[in-house]
Amino acid sequence: MKTKLLILSLTTLCSGALFAAEAPSIGAPAPAFSLPNSQGKTDSLGQFKGKYVVLEWFNPGCPFVQKHYKSGNMQKLQKEFTGKNVVWLTIDSSAPGQEGNLTPAEASKQIAEWNIKSTAFLLDPSGKVGHEYAATNTPHMFVIDPEGKLIYSGAIDNKPTANPADIADATNYVKAALDESMAGKPVQTPNSRAYGCSIKYDR
Amino acid sequence: MVINEMNWLQRSARLLLFAALLFASPHLRAQKFEGRDLVNASLIADTTAIVPGRAFTAGLLLKMAPTWHTYWQYPGDAGIPTEIKWQLPAGWKAGPIRWPIPLKLTEPGEIQIYGYHDEVLLMTELTPPATIAAKSVHLAAAVGWLVCAKICVPGNGNVQLDLPVGGAASAANPAVFAKFRAQLSRNLPNDALSAIHWQREAKDFRLTISDRSLAQDGNVDFFPLPGATTVLGHPQRQQTSDGSLVFTIPFESAAPGIHSLAGLIVFDHQAWSLGKSTSLSPGPATAKSAPASSTARDLLKFLLFGFIGGFILNLMPCVLPVISLKIFGFMQHAGDSRAKIFGNGVAFSAGIFVWFVGLALLMIALKAAGHQITWAFQFTNPLFVVAMSAVVLVFALNLFGVFEITLSARASGGLLGWSAREGYAGSFFQGVFATVLATPCTAPFLGSALGFAFAASAGVILLMFVAIAAGMSAPYLLLTAQPAWLRFLPRPGAWMVRVKQFMGFLLIATLLFLLWVLGAERGPEAIVWTGAFLLVLSIVCWMKGSFSTPANSFSQRLVVCALMALLVLGGGYYFIGEKFRATRIAASSLTPNDWVAFTPERLRDELAQGRSVFVDFTAAWCITCKFNEASVLETAVVKNAFARAGVVKMKADWTNADPVITKTLQQFGRVGVPLYVLYPATSPDHPVVLPELLTQTLVLDSLQNAAPKVAAAH
Repeated sequence: MKTKLLILSLTTLCSGALFAAEAPSIGAPAPAFSLPNSQGKTDSLGQFKGKYVVLEWFNPGCPFVQKHYKSGNMQKLQKEFTGKNVVWLTIDSSAPGQEGNLTPAEASKQIAEWNIKSTAFLLDPSGKVGHEYAATNTPHMFVIDPEGKLIYSGAIDNKPTANPADIADATNYVKAALDESMAGKPVQTPNSRAYGCSIKYDR
Repeated sequence: MVINEMNWLQRSARLLLFAALLFASPHLRAQKFEGRDLVNASLIADTTAIVPGRAFTAGLLLKMAPTWHTYWQYPGDAGIPTEIKWQLPAGWKAGPIRWPIPLKLTEPGEIQIYGYHDEVLLMTELTPPATIAAKSVHLAAAVGWLVCAKICVPGNGNVQLDLPVGGAASAANPAVFAKFRAQLSRNLPNDALSAIHWQREAKDFRLTISDRSLAQDGNVDFFPLPGATTVLGHPQRQQTSDGSLVFTIPFESAAPGIHSLAGLIVFDHQAWSLGKSTSLSPGPATAKSAPASSTARDLLKFLLFGFIGGFILNLMPCVLPVISLKIFGFMQHAGDSRAKIFGNGVAFSAGIFVWFVGLALLMIALKAAGHQITWAFQFTNPLFVVAMSAVVLVFALNLFGVFEITLSARASGGLLGWSAREGYAGSFFQGVFATVLATPCTAPFLGSALGFAFAASAGVILLMFVAIAAGMSAPYLLLTAQPAWLRFLPRPGAWMVRVKQFMGFLLIATLLFLLWVLGAERGPEAIVWTGAFLLVLSIVCWMKGSFSTPANSFSQRLVVCALMALLVLGGGYYFIGEKFRATRIAASSLTPNDWVAFTPERLRDELAQGRSVFVDFTAAWCITCKFNEASVLETAVVKNAFARAGVVKMKADWTNADPVITKTLQQFGRVGVPLYVLYPATSPDHPVVLPELLTQTLVLDSLQNAAPKVAAAH
């Protein structure tokens, strides 16, 4: 994987493009990363090896993110699975000056205001990690198994709307992937089309 | 962030009332955000009134604030398509949204989305029920959209429109409908079909376009329309060394059965739509998969069109005489048993089916052989027209009583009475005959249905023709299955012979038309030589009626038969084989003074000089064309309007199936005439296609849109 990443970054540098557009595949090792969190410390994916990890791309200004937070749906999921020893990382890739860009202090305030229950809130203003995962939407969800392999990427559920009333009837893909994988079954829907606002990258 | 319905209403109730009074119809729904209007949504229709049973187009018009965009049906990497939930009275039907070609927008971070800036009209075909009791109808829809610039704001609301119900309607909002209709994608033309190949690799789909002119257009793009469970990356464009164009569309997930994607091939503000096709053979090993075909629902819709079109064929002037004949036949059998009457109906329908299926098989064979296939193409072959003339004349002479057809009296004498058997055979051939005459009448529905069928696979062509045959035979089957209805018809009597003879004159009139077609194709000499051959045929028919009756001895009849054959063959060989074939293709006789003959070069020149151009694709044998010309295009009002608007009128005469014109027709997804296209000087890239049945209002309206300056001046 590392050699592949190296080749990828070399080729992309040579071609003048700045980011690898290729999304990580299901079943392949999830790209490693380290990011500062809202408390000023650094978290890296490597330190959670042996645990399920959920990545959630976040932007408080996005109506689709608001749909899942103002209804309490996201917090409920975060609470349920962090209670099952799952690591939940909320990642904000909004660039400085763009909607949803947060300083560590603002992030802490947001966590308190919305009662966000994730393990850590990571700040990615350069968009580097977002690009490595080819994350395009908020919310955009990824699930990584204890061996570090990607087992789900895509939307949070199957109702691509901004209407909180649709949550009740929706099938939650993240919950399904975690439940199935924890029960030793294959993930029925390992991939779906993410829906939401575009991530407010700089470039 | 979602607009508060009550708040909004309170704030703008007064404004709304004023606007309603001012504009009378469109109900505007504004999406406010931080004091600005982000999106104004309104419902409009292309008609001033609702005519029960007649479909029309309604559109959701979204006007976006500068830099903001709403989304296409496939939004791309992010975003949500606009949604319309119709709230229509009982009995109404709404079609799917017809999406104009979107823009491809790239946001920071290589996020690609498909959407619309400024304004977009999302059109839907609405079909009212056949009867409406109310004086006006309230149309409403709950709509939802996502509008984004740097940030995204969802909007929703109800849009509504009240329209009066009436017996007649004229076009409404022609400018905006014309603008967005021109931005709809078209079916892939059949000459481009073979240039499209799909392939599925381990992690991507490959679309190869081997059409050279298309492949060399630097702006060609592919906009995918994946199904809900297919997750795609960005299409990448590549030119291969052999001049083809390859789009590689990576996928994150796609069901194993999917081997191609639906989508649009976009070029120059135009687009061809590719339907989804899935081949079951495994991916990488197969070099090419089946070409695009459309979804099952589209197919059903077009088959329905085919059925309706077939039904309408019965009313066409070229079939009407045969119908009268047939109805007359039913009357003769009105005293017979139910089974016999129905048997005749079935035989007649069988004739219709056999002809259409035969035609379908011929088309499929020709298509396989690589010929350009066009509707009524057989009429572009003069020998076919000669054969038709001969058949029509023989039938006419039979009706006049010059000879009787006594089919297989000897061979069939057995279980069934020979008259019954002759009845069935007669019904069968009348069925065939009626359909042969019907082909040059491209009924309005048939146009689009056939356009679809010819771009499709052999199976679909066959189905299409079967649908047309079913539509055409439906009234006969119904009448014969319900003989009670036949009792309403008058009693048989001596008058029937007179009616029969009179029908003969209608056939002679048809013959005149066919001869005129021949004249247009091959000049006056062709008419003379065909006439000579027809004279020989008439003599042969007279011989048959006078010297080859059951009263004559067998040897007499044998001699007469041999003489008849000799005359037909000799006359055919000399007048048709020698003289007729020596005639040359006639110069177009269809171009009056104020028209210019169409050539693609001339069209380009006129447009380059900033003139609007109207092209009339016509043919001598096309009755719908003649009707439109007489009742609309050549009337003083329309002629003056063309002159005032300074529109160049071009005639594309397809009488002899000019291949250049065939190609142009195919560019518009058509396989036959009539076709009317208006290229406005202001936007020559967005030609407006007029319907196949013209009205004066329609032409005047489209002229006004094409030349707004003139409209303002007058």
